[in-house]
Amino acid sequence: MLKCMLEVNQLRVVYGSNVVLKDVNLVVNGEKVVLVGPNGSGKSTLFKAILGLAPVASGLIKVFDNSLSNIKNLIEISTNIAEVYRIANLKVADIINVYCELRGIGNAQTFQMIKEFELDDTLGRKLHELSTGQQKMVCNILALNQSAKLLLLDEPFDNVDQSRRRRFIELLKRSDAELLMSTHEFELLRLLPGWKLCFMLEGKLFGMFEVSQLERLYISKGRLENALAVMETSLGIFSVTLDKGDLQVKTATNLSSLLEAVAE
Amino acid sequence: MIIKYLLKSIITNRSLWGWGVIFMLFWLLLGVFVFSTSVPKQMIATLSYASSYYGTITLFSFSTIAISISYTLYYGSSALAYSFRYTKLTPLAYFLSLLGAASIMATIMSAIMLSATYALFSWKFNFNLFPHQPLASLAISAISGAFMMVLAMALVLAVINYAGVKNITFVGFIPLMLSYIFGFGQLYITLPEYLEYASPFTAISSLLYATYGGFSIPKVFINPSAGTLNPSILLLSLIAWILILSALDTQLLRRIRPRAIEEARQV
Repeated sequence: MLKCMLEVNQLRVVYGSNVVLKDVNLVVNGEKVVLVGPNGSGKSTLFKAILGLAPVASGLIKVFDNSLSNIKNLIEISTNIAEVYRIANLKVADIINVYCELRGIGNAQTFQMIKEFELDDTLGRKLHELSTGQQKMVCNILALNQSAKLLLLDEPFDNVDQSRRRRFIELLKRSDAELLMSTHEFELLRLLPGWKLCFMLEGKLFGMFEVSQLERLYISKGRLENALAVMETSLGIFSVTLDKGDLQVKTATNLSSLLEAVAE
Repeated sequence: MIIKYLLKSIITNRSLWGWGVIFMLFWLLLGVFVFSTSVPKQMIATLSYASSYYGTITLFSFSTIAISISYTLYYGSSALAYSFRYTKLTPLAYFLSLLGAASIMATIMSAIMLSATYALFSWKFNFNLFPHQPLASLAISAISGAFMMVLAMALVLAVINYAGVKNITFVGFIPLMLSYIFGFGQLYITLPEYLEYASPFTAISSLLYATYGGFSIPKVFINPSAGTLNPSILLLSLIAWILILSALDTQLLRRIRPRAIEEARQV
């Protein structure tokens, strides 16, 4: 029987008195999924919770059918979150070597990709000495070359220039691995046909939709009977519908401004 | 095993070289040129003086390794929590790698102190003060490096896992503070015998003193007539500390709690 890649059930993450994730449910199994939401909506926290880096107050996370608390040495998953690559005070070349060794894979492909992305000059520097965009690309490349079956890519294009963005998106599309990727940029969605789509807002996850449906998705104020999803937010209640509604999703640059426009 | 990378990380740490080697060489120079005026110009007296300096200064030097280890663990807590889950790294493999790296670094630092002590004190006093058992000194240094590592790991992981990390800097400096307290204590005052045997810090400086000079270990370095300590018991005490703390460390490492660096911000 095939294992479910990722299952998140009623997940709550709390920092102090701040509830960051509110009963999040998500299943990723054999598909590429993009989470879209504004900064602070909980996308990174969801990734960190899956990676065991955020305090889970309640709920269940299963990765390849293993409960998070029981996971040891499971190499089917990788990420581009920089803090997981700070195992020691090392230069980028050594970080690549360490993590390839820890995965039991060769490093040639990673170094080749570093070269292809014209990041050779980062190899002799430490992660914190790189620009934000360089750091992000190095971590993207590390995540992509770890022979993982599921990649968690948190805002992989933040501060990354257009040329590298375009090339990396092509690599992601061609990748055999399944993906869970977050972004706050709606424009990116047009480049990801065939992917699944979820909206994330105020610690809640809404969806899943198809990116290919983007042209047909609308958001309306209130709770509608034919809604694909109902979003309860601090701005009010909104319904996601197909083919008609108050505002077309594809016209938005980000989710917050879209909801604000609908609310008005 | 990732020992080579951890060793590289430790060896290329400039602070460690600054505070653990250069600053300690400065202390050694003070010992040779400033504080040595009352030392009788006799072979035995000068060898004992050089041995006590080597033992004490090298202990202080090792304590800086503990500080480096503390920060490595704190800044790497998320990476470790992730790596134990999602790479082939195990807590035991990481523990042994860090232990090995700390031991090698301590041996390197000790070799520098040993050479400097021999060269400077011999030149100043005009005697050949070659260490009695240099290889034994280096072996004790490797064990001492292991002790500093297991102590630092126990302290910092206890804080990371079970307390707030606001005091992480203070906790990281505890091995250094204890080294200074026991190092100077053994140099100038008569500590209770049970404390001399129970303290791994006095064990380190005493054993380094004995391997350099080839003397019995005095309870107080500046007063050899105050009685002596048994080196075998001191060595056993040091090894017992390492074993106990190692058992604690591996358990704490399995439960490592990822911490954001910003959590330690004070203001």
